[in-house]
Amino acid sequence: MPLKLILEGKRCLLVDDFSEFRYSVKKMLQSLGASDVDDTGDGDEAIDKIALKSYDLILCDYNLGENKRDGQQILEEAKHKEILKYSAIFIMITAENTMRMVMGAMEYKPDDYLTKPFTKEALLARLEKIMEKKNDFATIDKALARKDYHSALKMCNDKIQSKPKNLYELLKLKAELSITVGDYPEAESIYNQIVNIRRLPWALLGLGKALFLSTKHMEAKEIFLEIIDENRSFVEAYDWLAKVLEALGDSKEAQRMLMRALELSPKAILRQKALADLAYKNNDLATAENSYKQAVDLGKNSCFKSAKDYTGLAQVMLDKKTPEKALKVLQDSKTIFTNDRESTLQATLMQGLAHKELGNEADLKSSIEEANSLFSGMKGTVNSVASLDIAGSFFKLGEADKANQIMQDVIRNNHDNEKVLKKAQEVFTSADMQTEGERMIAATKREIIKVNNDGVMLVKNGKLAEAIDFFSKAASGLPENKIINANAAQAMLMYMQKFGKTDKHVNQVQRYLDQIRKVDPTYKKYQELVAVYKKLTEA
Amino acid sequence: MDIEQRNIDFATIIASAVHDMKNSLSMLLNYLDDVVDYFKEIDVPEAVQLTHLHYEAKRVNNNLIQLLSLYRLDKSMYSLNITYNSINELFNDLVIQNKTMLDYKNISVETECEDDLFWFFDLDMISGVLNSTMNNSFRYTKSKLRLVAEVEDGYLKISIEDDGGGYPKNLIDATSNHREKSIDFTSGSTGLGLFFAEIVADYHTNKDKRGYINLCNTCSLGGGCFSLYLP
Repeated sequence: MPLKLILEGKRCLLVDDFSEFRYSVKKMLQSLGASDVDDTGDGDEAIDKIALKSYDLILCDYNLGENKRDGQQILEEAKHKEILKYSAIFIMITAENTMRMVMGAMEYKPDDYLTKPFTKEALLARLEKIMEKKNDFATIDKALARKDYHSALKMCNDKIQSKPKNLYELLKLKAELSITVGDYPEAESIYNQIVNIRRLPWALLGLGKALFLSTKHMEAKEIFLEIIDENRSFVEAYDWLAKVLEALGDSKEAQRMLMRALELSPKAILRQKALADLAYKNNDLATAENSYKQAVDLGKNSCFKSAKDYTGLAQVMLDKKTPEKALKVLQDSKTIFTNDRESTLQATLMQGLAHKELGNEADLKSSIEEANSLFSGMKGTVNSVASLDIAGSFFKLGEADKANQIMQDVIRNNHDNEKVLKKAQEVFTSADMQTEGERMIAATKREIIKVNNDGVMLVKNGKLAEAIDFFSKAASGLPENKIINANAAQAMLMYMQKFGKTDKHVNQVQRYLDQIRKVDPTYKKYQELVAVYKKLTEA
Repeated sequence: MDIEQRNIDFATIIASAVHDMKNSLSMLLNYLDDVVDYFKEIDVPEAVQLTHLHYEAKRVNNNLIQLLSLYRLDKSMYSLNITYNSINELFNDLVIQNKTMLDYKNISVETECEDDLFWFFDLDMISGVLNSTMNNSFRYTKSKLRLVAEVEDGYLKISIEDDGGGYPKNLIDATSNHREKSIDFTSGSTGLGLFFAEIVADYHTNKDKRGYINLCNTCSLGGGCFSLYLP
């Protein structure tokens, strides 16, 4: 029986390391009308091909041989570099049908999974379903591709009204988008609605996430435990359970959960990083060292490689009193991340610490000089957590002035963030400057509170235009300060409520909200502002 | 030094052998497809006889897939992937996948199902069960098959009816008490297919309800009737 020629005129790419399998699938694709089919057995070559030609369909085997780039890494690289057009279909071919669950936590997901072996009828049926879905979601996908979440939400709502057959997929997307824009109560209610009909694992996971982000930790924990109880291979549930446990103060158990997840998916680089950080926090240096090493190795084939894995590993090696090893790792980091100033600075500072440990006075001196010149060229672009590390290193190297300057900046940006302030105090304490630290924190708090109060006063006195001006200036100098950003957003929202909305102001509010979400997605005031923003933009 | 006991896990060995056989067989099926297409192109009338060859190979393949799925379920390596599916589409896919054999054996199929009937289940698993049941029916039915789906008492009921001689009494008795897993696989009283169907159905749960299967000989076509109940 002739098959439907649904691939006529489509550009296809087939990636598999077995040539016989490629031959057989190529025949299938041809029997579905494809005349333009490229194939390769190598992941690097696959990425080159994707960069050169805009494919409509990519069939990619997950396992491409030991120590080779795998299918997931190809997908990540292609999406990360944005060389894959949004309408392209990416299907991951796997040997096991549990892959979907194990790969769940990945940042980038394929359109579907296909278990080997398959017949051409099965391939046809699957392709038809994916194409239909892609078609249904085309306009939404387009909005998502330009990160326009609010338009995408609106389109979801419109479609849901007509009770289509892919209702659950639309509800799922709507709930996920609600989380992305910070509307957790909406997400919670959608997931609850689904879970009441059927306790589907993905809906339970979403519900748990929404609860966690609304800081309902105990409820969230119950949900994640329920998922794992039913589906032991659902790794994403372990990740979130670990987050909940950490929030509840049980970081040992949180580490255990991440280790269980990694048994199921040892190649997940982001999870390895999370485990390394957590193990370091738990003072489990052996696990931290191993996980940072894994992250460094996995990073070689991944778009998620980061200098932090190298400096993290070097830090563990310094703690273990093996500075020679640390120096080697830091040199690697500087070679790989040559153009990244912040990373180079961190690595240089740590080199200084290693030289100090080894008693190499000359090398120590040249490291400090190099660090100083790097630092003077990059002010104001480093996030708080990295800044604290950098300041800590400057303190240890005896450069107290520089360190104090950085600390001041961090505190200004986080005057109400107890977590960061606690870490800042720890940095002072370990530099034997406990009292100086307490004093600086208290004074800086007062300074920022005054700035904030001055702005709030303008609002109270009805001087909205001036308040907007005042807070925009304050916010641009304190990009990580959530209260200042929240008040800047609020002043602007009030202004629009009174004088009508403009695109310019709406976009500015969106930027403030994004800024707060990056710093603290669970901030209560953020929720309130999102609700006002939603009401205003939907009106 | 301790002497290490060689620990042979026979199930795992079988599973890996089955995995390998399944891959070879599916290559074989694909090549066979090409041969059939080629014969048709050059007008070889005997090509149609290859259909039977295809049918038997597919039966073996189905059995291997079921064996492997049972192994994975048993070892907790498989978690159901429950999605919300159109029954109409499910039926259409079933008919398309078996079209060659239906034509060859001159069996007509009718389907009966509301257009907007959707249900929650693991699509791969359930199509596997229905496919192999349908495959078996080819052996026993005379000229007709009927696929029926309806909602009954909070369950989705999917039935495959035929106009053959019906199921033997011992099988019907074995599935009549659906609250317990009832097919005695060890006595050889039934095939793998029903055993598999029963387990897959049982894995489908919703709140306090579990899925089950039922066999009877009292359907509208006068032959055997296989029914799958999913909560």
